Amino acid sequence: MNIANFSQMLSFIKPELAVSVTILVVVVFDLIFNKNKKIIPYIALLGIVVTGYYVIQQYALSGTAFPTSGKYGMVTVDAFASFFKMIVLIATLCIVIFSYYSDEIIKTQGRLGEYYTLIFGMVLGMFVMISASDLILIYLSMELMSLSSYVLAGFTKLRTRNSEAALKYLIYGAISSGLMLFGISLVYGMTGTTNLYQLNAALQGADVNLYTVGFALILIFAGIGYKISAAPFHFWTPDVYEGAPISITAYLSVASKAAGFALLMRFLKTTFVTYVDPHGSWQLFNIFDWQTLLILISVLTMTLGNFAALWQDNLKRMLAYSSIAHAGYMLLGVLVLTNKGVSAVMFYFFVYLIMNLGAFFVVMIIANKIGSENIDDYDGLGYSSPFLGVTFGIFLVSLTGLPPTAGFIGKLNLFVALLDKQMVVVAVIAVINSVVSLYYYIRVLKHMFLTKRDEKISIPVPMPAFLFILVMATTTIFFGIYFTPITSWAQNAAAILHF
Amino acid sequence: MNGFPILSVITFLPILGMIIVLSMPKEKNREVKIATLVITILQVILAVILLANFNYSLGGINDPKSFQFVEKFRWIEIPGISWIGTFKVDYYLGVDGLSMAMVLLTAIVTFIATLSSWTINKSVKGYFALFLLLDTAMMGVFVALDFFLFYIFWELMLLPMYFLIGIWGGPRKEYAAIKFFIYTLVGSVLMLLVMIGLYFSAKETLADGSQVYTFNLLALMNPKNYTHTGLLSPLNADNIRLIAYIGLFIGFAIKIPMFPFHTWLPDAHVEAPTPISVILAGVLLKMGTYGILRISYPIFPEITRQLMWYIALFGMINIIYGALVALAQKDFKKLIAYSSVSHMGYVLLGMASLSAVGINGAIFQMFNHGTITAMLFLIVGVVYDRAHTRGIYDFGGLATQMPVYTGVVIVAFFAAIGLPSLSGFISEALVFFGAFAVTTTRTLAIISTLGILLGAAYMLWTLQRIYFGKLNEKWANMKDLDLREIVMFVPLMIIVIYLGIYPSAMLNLLHASVAHLTNFMAQHAQSFLISSL
Amino acid sequence: MIHVSLTHYLVVSAFLFSFGLYGVVTRKNAVMVLMGIELILNSANINFVAFSKFGNYGLNGQIMALFVIILAAAEAAIALAIVLNIYKTFAHVDVDKINNLKE
Repeated sequence: MNIANFSQMLSFIKPELAVSVTILVVVVFDLIFNKNKKIIPYIALLGIVVTGYYVIQQYALSGTAFPTSGKYGMVTVDAFASFFKMIVLIATLCIVIFSYYSDEIIKTQGRLGEYYTLIFGMVLGMFVMISASDLILIYLSMELMSLSSYVLAGFTKLRTRNSEAALKYLIYGAISSGLMLFGISLVYGMTGTTNLYQLNAALQGADVNLYTVGFALILIFAGIGYKISAAPFHFWTPDVYEGAPISITAYLSVASKAAGFALLMRFLKTTFVTYVDPHGSWQLFNIFDWQTLLILISVLTMTLGNFAALWQDNLKRMLAYSSIAHAGYMLLGVLVLTNKGVSAVMFYFFVYLIMNLGAFFVVMIIANKIGSENIDDYDGLGYSSPFLGVTFGIFLVSLTGLPPTAGFIGKLNLFVALLDKQMVVVAVIAVINSVVSLYYYIRVLKHMFLTKRDEKISIPVPMPAFLFILVMATTTIFFGIYFTPITSWAQNAAAILHF
Repeated sequence: MNGFPILSVITFLPILGMIIVLSMPKEKNREVKIATLVITILQVILAVILLANFNYSLGGINDPKSFQFVEKFRWIEIPGISWIGTFKVDYYLGVDGLSMAMVLLTAIVTFIATLSSWTINKSVKGYFALFLLLDTAMMGVFVALDFFLFYIFWELMLLPMYFLIGIWGGPRKEYAAIKFFIYTLVGSVLMLLVMIGLYFSAKETLADGSQVYTFNLLALMNPKNYTHTGLLSPLNADNIRLIAYIGLFIGFAIKIPMFPFHTWLPDAHVEAPTPISVILAGVLLKMGTYGILRISYPIFPEITRQLMWYIALFGMINIIYGALVALAQKDFKKLIAYSSVSHMGYVLLGMASLSAVGINGAIFQMFNHGTITAMLFLIVGVVYDRAHTRGIYDFGGLATQMPVYTGVVIVAFFAAIGLPSLSGFISEALVFFGAFAVTTTRTLAIISTLGILLGAAYMLWTLQRIYFGKLNEKWANMKDLDLREIVMFVPLMIIVIYLGIYPSAMLNLLHASVAHLTNFMAQHAQSFLISSL
Repeated sequence: MIHVSLTHYLVVSAFLFSFGLYGVVTRKNAVMVLMGIELILNSANINFVAFSKFGNYGLNGQIMALFVIILAAAEAAIALAIVLNIYKTFAHVDVDKINNLKE
């Protein structure tokens, strides 16, 4: 490997390098300016902007780098990766804003340096996860992300529920990554390679035992399923979401899920697809019936998530179950195994990012004041703070998937992808599920607007936070009416690099 | 009318009104009401202008050239997708006789409902903002010619209605609002599935010769546009058009509401404030039958023909069941709600006949039911405002106490019963003529006539209980109608009497479209079937 | 002298994996659960090294094993910190009794 070649390869991981530099800068500043931690969020913002610049620069790039053996590398860069990195970055940007206004984080002001270091540790893990095309790198990046997030889940230590959330997250996470590692070792044993592109050829050619392959793949899926909180690997989600600081809950619900989905889709496409027909439909070789597995998991996930959400009185917990249900919807786009499905998932993520973070932000602003996320404490809030009430309503309506909000267009894209493959029964189940989901979203609005309370509580919304909510709410409506740019972006980026 | 986007204006004027209302200070209740009133009056004026410029000889339905006041441009376009080609949604508005009648009805009923909303005193600003949003959604449904656009307007109506019932309603408002919401949502998701299925089944040829998948309703009505592999194509070997038809029909039937999907209606009506009941009965219920005529019928003509007996059967059940249940009611408003169920049955029966006379009668009945039931709910509102009770047994002898009011009541009740020289008579007669003339629906039509008898029974009985007989001393101080209330009743009474004496005013408007629809159905039921062989 | 073949390694790793999974599922003490997880990780490590040696697959497997050892150490450090924290708040580390979050 010569120097020119190496520097060219480094250009493939510029965004990751930028994130790493940000981590170092945060650590150094934390040490030098020990007294004044106020500056750290601004360093984080700067890091995000620089990283964003490199991600955008990479958009046109396509290829793999850092080969271990053979010609295919461990890192793949394509438009698909750039899209998801962008999603992760936007989510991180929002989380920095979240943390700035979160009472829980403000109370731990002294450890702000660690907080941001860990957040960027997660970002680095997710970036590598999105780009990884080698099982070793997939495992390492998932661990990097997980280790940071275990600590973040219990970061504030303000209440017992924080440590409990961290422990549960850790135990479930460690088990699933252990299972995944064992699956990887079996795949490695059967094929002699860990590179996804080489696996594709090896699995097609080799005379492998189908049961062993099936067992190994299910173990690997356990690791990924844990990250996207798909049933039956979802048990941690409600407890962790309820127990973790709200900014981290919001971050886990969007960013780590996005990285998990990107990983799942890249893994499926590079490892198992023989060719993509002109209609964008993937032809998988006959080794493992992914479609049936994914249909089962998707239906199970959304049904479980929605029905469990019906009984929740804690809004964070309700949003956790709702995020499980949304993972189920997004799996619909994966299980069709088409390019259209991938672009539908990508579009959905963009929309989900806006509406879900918006909803969490409102919950946080309210929790800052009233110190509770219980639905009964939301009684009559629609009257005392109409702005929060109305915007929260918009986010919830969008999460339900009603027009004219962006959530509707997202769901529409998913259903379109399903019906395109003539999967009518699955589509009907999904539709019934969204009707069920309506009930618990509307229940919140019912408490806010239809139930009266005697004392008036005014909830202060600082001006920048006000603007943030306003921007989120208007984009939710705006992309429900004019969604062309996002759709075409998602469609152009949907082609995952494939040989 | 050249170039002036009158349909967009009439549809989105209320949104403008909503913005104005929202920007007003909180305590200016009166100004908010006046602003809303001005907007709805402007809407009525625009509707009248539309009518004055309307060409009665053009049919519409599936012929893009004979739609009027058309506005069509590309709303969303994403070219160059390998597996779809171009994804496009048109902003496509236009009216024919069928929608013109509904636009008129919407404008008038909304205006009346605004007057009736004068008594609203709780969060006035929010009420009128939602009210105007609802207005836009209703208008949009009746003028949209692109399925996607139609669906957006259809769904847009859901939330304002939920809050209007849920915040300003009666004691069990939350239950009623949720029930309304869930029923309607189930219907609209069924509609969404069929819409997506249709999208992938037919391709429209654009001006430049390229073929793209389409939501254009008119293109979906042409059997030649369907692809061989399309899910809902008549050419598709495993034909699931029947299932899709039933799904779509249920979606609309919930709105009508057709037995057995009607149970949300009495709850919603009883809990809703008077003006919202007026809108609900006057306009919203019509959206169901309008959707069937505009979408189900011309897109699935062969299946409609196959199922016409069943549609008529459900029409008959609605008529008889609604009337029987109405007979048993003790609550005045619930009685009117069930009479609505019964009257919408006539619309179904007339439509099911698939004859020009029957469909004319059905659309005419839609219009008449809109005006007459609006009056009936206003009548209930008048007593409820004064007495705060609606029990039929609680009143008696109001005729001597409130002569003007009782005059109005008599006109409205007789119109509802279907007394000759009032508008209800003509439409019901046409429905029965139409249904009787067709062999398939004849027996059902004969049974349905029983409904008229029952209708007369519960109406006259109520009239007797509340307005005649001995005056209940408790209400000796009830005041007669004030000026605002008279203004609210007079236009409706004029329409009811005018259309009773001179029904051609409405029938001429409908004639070309209905003739076109029945011809189209007769021809294309064949071609849809032949192409599937 | 028994010739040690790939199968022997795989049997050992399968046993370790099963014991690990069994420990994770049945143990109540958080530290014991973590030890179960270590067993699972190490069973995978044995697989990697064995496959790498017997399959002539190059050094990828052995490198992977090294990475896993490092990660296992990092994970153990974080896990024990969290368990310590749990001990401070609950005064025990019984995972079955730490369920404040479920109502």
